Amino acid sequence: MGQQHRNEKIAKIFFLITGLIAVASVLLITFFVFFQGLQPFFPFNKEGRYSFWKFISGLQWKPNDEVAKASYGILYMIVGSLFSTLGAVILAVPIGILTAVYIAELAPRFVVKILQPAVELLSGIPSVLFGVFGLGFIVPIIMKTSPYARGQSLLAVILVLAVMILPIIVSLSVTALQAVPHAYREGSYALGASKIHTIFHLVIPAARSGLLAGIVLGTGRGIGETMAVMMVAGNSGGGIPTSLWQQIRPLTVNIAMEMGYSSGLHQEMLFATAVILFLFIFGINLILTKITAKLGDVDVKF
Amino acid sequence: MSNFKIKNRVKDGALRGLIYLCTGLTVGSLLLILGYIFVKGVPGLSVDFFIRDFNDKTAYVTLQETDDLGVQVEARDDGFYITSMEKGSPFASAVNQNGDRQKLTKGDQIVSIGDTKLTAENCGDLNALLPDTGQVQAKVVRVGGGIFPLLVTTLMIIGLSLLIALPIGISAAVYLNEYAKPGKILRSIRFCIEILAGIPSIIYGLFGMLLFVRFMGMGFSVLAGACTVAIILLPTIIRTTEETLKTVPESYREGSLGLGATKIQTIVKIVIPASAPGILTAVILCIGRIIGESAALLFTSGTQARIPGNLLESGASLTVQAYLAAKEKGDLSMACSIGVVVILVVILLNFLSRKVGKLMTKF
Repeated sequence: MGQQHRNEKIAKIFFLITGLIAVASVLLITFFVFFQGLQPFFPFNKEGRYSFWKFISGLQWKPNDEVAKASYGILYMIVGSLFSTLGAVILAVPIGILTAVYIAELAPRFVVKILQPAVELLSGIPSVLFGVFGLGFIVPIIMKTSPYARGQSLLAVILVLAVMILPIIVSLSVTALQAVPHAYREGSYALGASKIHTIFHLVIPAARSGLLAGIVLGTGRGIGETMAVMMVAGNSGGGIPTSLWQQIRPLTVNIAMEMGYSSGLHQEMLFATAVILFLFIFGINLILTKITAKLGDVDVKF
Repeated sequence: MSNFKIKNRVKDGALRGLIYLCTGLTVGSLLLILGYIFVKGVPGLSVDFFIRDFNDKTAYVTLQETDDLGVQVEARDDGFYITSMEKGSPFASAVNQNGDRQKLTKGDQIVSIGDTKLTAENCGDLNALLPDTGQVQAKVVRVGGGIFPLLVTTLMIIGLSLLIALPIGISAAVYLNEYAKPGKILRSIRFCIEILAGIPSIIYGLFGMLLFVRFMGMGFSVLAGACTVAIILLPTIIRTTEETLKTVPESYREGSLGLGATKIQTIVKIVIPASAPGILTAVILCIGRIIGESAALLFTSGTQARIPGNLLESGASLTVQAYLAAKEKGDLSMACSIGVVVILVVILLNFLSRKVGKLMTKF
């Protein structure tokens, strides 16, 4: 019996340890990225010191082996990341939610059976292929109308990102809309409201937490997207974008472009870029946890 | 009909139109992407595309004036291919640029013998091209342009990362569903799983490069890539498995415990087998995720488009090479051809996961 008891204990501890690997991974990732990325801002860094203020407010990225000649400003990248994600969200949210409305409320069964796998497929396409599509299809079209010589631009990034976050928004919105109890709709019909009126004045407001979760998740995907964006952003060396035609350089792209060959302070600054990206993602995650917690409350009430 | 009613009708109609328009845009964007990739990529598909090496491979053969070449070539549109090779032919001892032995086979192209390029006129009797005295070199090329090494690398990464992540993920899910009591530990594990799921792959790539490639000394290698991807997979495996564990009826556990089985026996022999379809779903989702992964692999498993000789060698996956082809070489056709393969696999995986999902509703 004692032997068996000990085995049970060992098993429990084993399962606990595997559960804690997720925690350890988060801690390790945070530690490694922050440790490497914050070094340049402390005095006595052996690769050279760089002012945090110049980093966070700088408008130019010009790596150089000589620290005095280099400039590592990422404000314009932060702006580029935010603009492109915001633009994509503005485009994709209405389209995505209304597509979800069609799937959840209006479409006949056999159409749903086609549409849902289609949305699933769209979300399963690897990001590199969105980049290839952007580079081969969207960029040449933009090039024809753009005042600049190249088609790689903020607009191209927005369009590619919008298509990428569309399936996330659609599938989360469908789940949210389907969770609204049927009694709500029947009550509304009984009062003489039309189907469309019911959808817009009752179902969508009732599902707003779930819809919001989809939007936030889409935003996270947009900020963190790398490969597709890298192919269509143009990756400018500096300057805040003032028009849709201008090239941008989002945070993720900065890291991915130069990590392969960087060293010394340059590489540490790339990790510093990752720290900023990490903080954005962390913030988005916190918002998401808040929303999903609220979502849980609503479920209980139903 | 009153004015009010007509106004409402018009409003409803407009909104309905908007809904149809948006659905059309969603479906349209999918069709546009698929259309672009297939139109551009399908012409590049062939049997050769799947079995050939990615890079051209050049070999050199040293020939003496007295040699009998012992090879036959056949002229095709793009060159002269070896159709047969006799035993004892000097072509059996070809070497590559580094002087290492390289075995030639049927289908390799003979480009030149000495200074003479092969042409339609002279390819009938190759022996005639040998010099009267001294020795010359023949140049033989095995044409690349195929994705075989990429397929092998991708499969290696899939197998290895699942081998690492599945046991960890499944037992973590078991802990969460069968052991954990509400409290700090449970909350922090759940929170961290959420965080892991939200971290962009480029950050995983950086982390993998620091920890596995450098700190643990794996170098740019398939192993480092698989370890990095394994962490990315954890949230998917844990969540999916946990969902299934929840659906295993409590009566299964009670029955097993009632018969005198211990908790660990119940978990290993009853609960986990009962949730096999859910674990299978997790595996399918993971394979999809790995095939699509590129940013995390770029800095961990590297960019070498050849079959990794062992786990510590670098190898590019399908999507990494699709990126390199499109961005660095401007070869969109190659990228799209790889894309067609990847999309077909994704469609197959989606189909499978739906089939397995139907199995799961058995309870």
